[in-house]
Amino acid sequence: MQFRFGAEGELTAPSQDRLAVGDPRVVDFLAKLARKLLAPAVARRHPELGSLGYFLRPAELHRAVERMRRDDALVFPRGNVFHLPPANVDTIFVYSWALSALAGNHNVVRISSRSAGAAEVILEAMNAVEADPVIARTQRMVTYGRDDAITGALSKWADLRVIWGGDAAVDAIRKHPLRPSARDLTFPDRTSWAVLSTAGWRAADPAARRTAVVGFANDAYWFDQAACSSPRTVFLVGGDGAGVRAEFLDLLLEVVEARGWTVDPAMAVEKRVNAYGLAAVGAAAALDFPDNRITAMTLTGTERAPRRWIGAGAFPFAEADSLLDLVPAMNRQDQTVSHFGFTPAELQAFATELGGRGVDRIVPFGSALTFGAIWDGYDLPSEFTRLTALQL
Amino acid sequence: MSVFTLSQAAKEEVLLKELSSLTEHHRANCEPYDRILSASGFSAAATVADLPYLPVRLFKNLELKSIPDDQVFKVLTSSGTTGEVSRIYLDKAAAAEQQRRLAATVQSVLGPKRLPMLLVDTKAMLKDRRSFSARGAGVLGMSTFGRDHVWALDNEGIVDLDAIRGFLAKHGDQPFLIFGFTFLVWLHLYEVARDNGLDLSNGILIHSGGWKKLVDQAVSPDEFRARLAGVGLTNVHNYYGMVEQIGTIFLEGPSGGSLYCPDFADVVVRDPETWAELPPGKPGLLEVVSTLPTSYPGHVLLTEDLGVVHGIDDGDWPGKRFSVLGRLPRAEARGCSDTYRSAA
Repeated sequence: MQFRFGAEGELTAPSQDRLAVGDPRVVDFLAKLARKLLAPAVARRHPELGSLGYFLRPAELHRAVERMRRDDALVFPRGNVFHLPPANVDTIFVYSWALSALAGNHNVVRISSRSAGAAEVILEAMNAVEADPVIARTQRMVTYGRDDAITGALSKWADLRVIWGGDAAVDAIRKHPLRPSARDLTFPDRTSWAVLSTAGWRAADPAARRTAVVGFANDAYWFDQAACSSPRTVFLVGGDGAGVRAEFLDLLLEVVEARGWTVDPAMAVEKRVNAYGLAAVGAAAALDFPDNRITAMTLTGTERAPRRWIGAGAFPFAEADSLLDLVPAMNRQDQTVSHFGFTPAELQAFATELGGRGVDRIVPFGSALTFGAIWDGYDLPSEFTRLTALQL
Repeated sequence: MSVFTLSQAAKEEVLLKELSSLTEHHRANCEPYDRILSASGFSAAATVADLPYLPVRLFKNLELKSIPDDQVFKVLTSSGTTGEVSRIYLDKAAAAEQQRRLAATVQSVLGPKRLPMLLVDTKAMLKDRRSFSARGAGVLGMSTFGRDHVWALDNEGIVDLDAIRGFLAKHGDQPFLIFGFTFLVWLHLYEVARDNGLDLSNGILIHSGGWKKLVDQAVSPDEFRARLAGVGLTNVHNYYGMVEQIGTIFLEGPSGGSLYCPDFADVVVRDPETWAELPPGKPGLLEVVSTLPTSYPGHVLLTEDLGVVHGIDDGDWPGKRFSVLGRLPRAEARGCSDTYRSAA
């Protein structure tokens, strides 16, 4: 067992330390951490830490704490929280941990031994913060090998277990029982889409189109299109999509080129394998490989949009007359729909028609990866707290 | 008798015609294949390099065959490193033809007669169902080209020096065949021959299986050859082939250093950025073509191996001569999924 942050010792030992919701010692720690992550040298090397730093600024933290308060009940920390973040998206553990810490919980975060890059930078920054000693005693980040005994013990210790990493991870971790009063917060496999209004696109001026594509490119390429919220299939809505699609792809290649992003040959082969697979089963009627960085596919119907990962820079396209026509193709697995060119009324009607049966986030191009306190259909601050009803 | 006879120009003329008609044949008989070609906008090829290639991994993901179910005579499988398995469907005719062409290819260096055969492997490997994959199939396939087989390793995988000495005493004064995987030959034959003064000078070695393990030990193909020559073994032929193009092997020529393409097969090296064919001397991704796959659309395959053409019509045999340089690393993505492959 390797302690990456926090005081070494028995993780599940009873603790006398008490943190409050919005505890000033936690706020102070997170704010100092934010400052370190926003340092220009760090942000240059790991741009994704910039958005994390932003999320942890005092103003944001106070807003999150405000959201935890209620007038109909007293709000307290949930208790002990055991986090199992994904190995490959190296910043997500900080978001869920930080909200949980802000709620005053005692946290144990299992950091994957495969974590690298940005995760290491974050841990370094955390260890460099001058914090109240209570932080190290109540907030622990550990790395351990495949050890059922440890996972089992932490599961029994936890009041809330936060499982990221998809269906397989959730199933594997759920084999370890929780206390009867405890529960899981699970983040299973998700799929995310983009919707583009062809009318909205045509109405937009060249600068607005470009801005949209820059946002979309960030959303798609930042995590190799493999994060739960990375858009994959692009639905062209409103008819006459061919010209819009061509222009969109040209702009996309320009943006990718300007950023200097590359897609290596192995990934290009991976995309070809998956694209051919879609054609072979009749889900794609046309395949375009203009460049290793972009693979475009024409789906034979909106219901054929693949829910598995196709590769970095792989874009199936399908057309629909209206957003409402997409509703039958959406299901519970679908997480984020990022949009461009629609009216607020169109988006409202879409969300209402979905009725919570699929799609947890509808956000503009460029915001797909922006973590929020409402995630995967949960209000995380409320998940991380418990309520005491007091009638006088 | 040799299957290494055609100059590059003559070969391409034959191959373009035969592979184009195979493409049409598979389109007519394998619907998924036809859909892939239609979606890619393929109509006709003017050169061998224009023919539409399938990534070899597609045979792990899809059932691709151009014969009805009741004509399936044999299903070959290859296990990959990630546990995915290629499935290759042969009818009777294809199964017979691949064996016949493989025989013709190895007979180009062995001559028409079956030679006494020393197998640098263990018989126990054939019984172990779990490891009976490419290695077992390779040994079994090749063993039909020899006679009076002797295994150089015992059931525990330990060198059986008595068996090797007995084999050499009986057959060592005449040409004999040695077959094994490159790494096993290095570990269990070369070192044993050197330490025990075995005379392998009448041996013809055919070996395969990749250089990765040897390169890890800092043994290059050239050094492998030179060190084997040091124990008298100068007839040495490496080969390259895959189950997805069963029956087709690319064989190292007598003077070493290059693999050659039999008359019914060829290689195209592609630029992994533009996917255009690369000229000799430029390394890229290897595409292998062969007229043997008639029962499944595997006649034009993009491998995940890197290679380079050294020259054309300028070596031991006519046509292209090339080397395999290693494997393309597998694409790995970041992502929210896959924290735990199994319980933690």
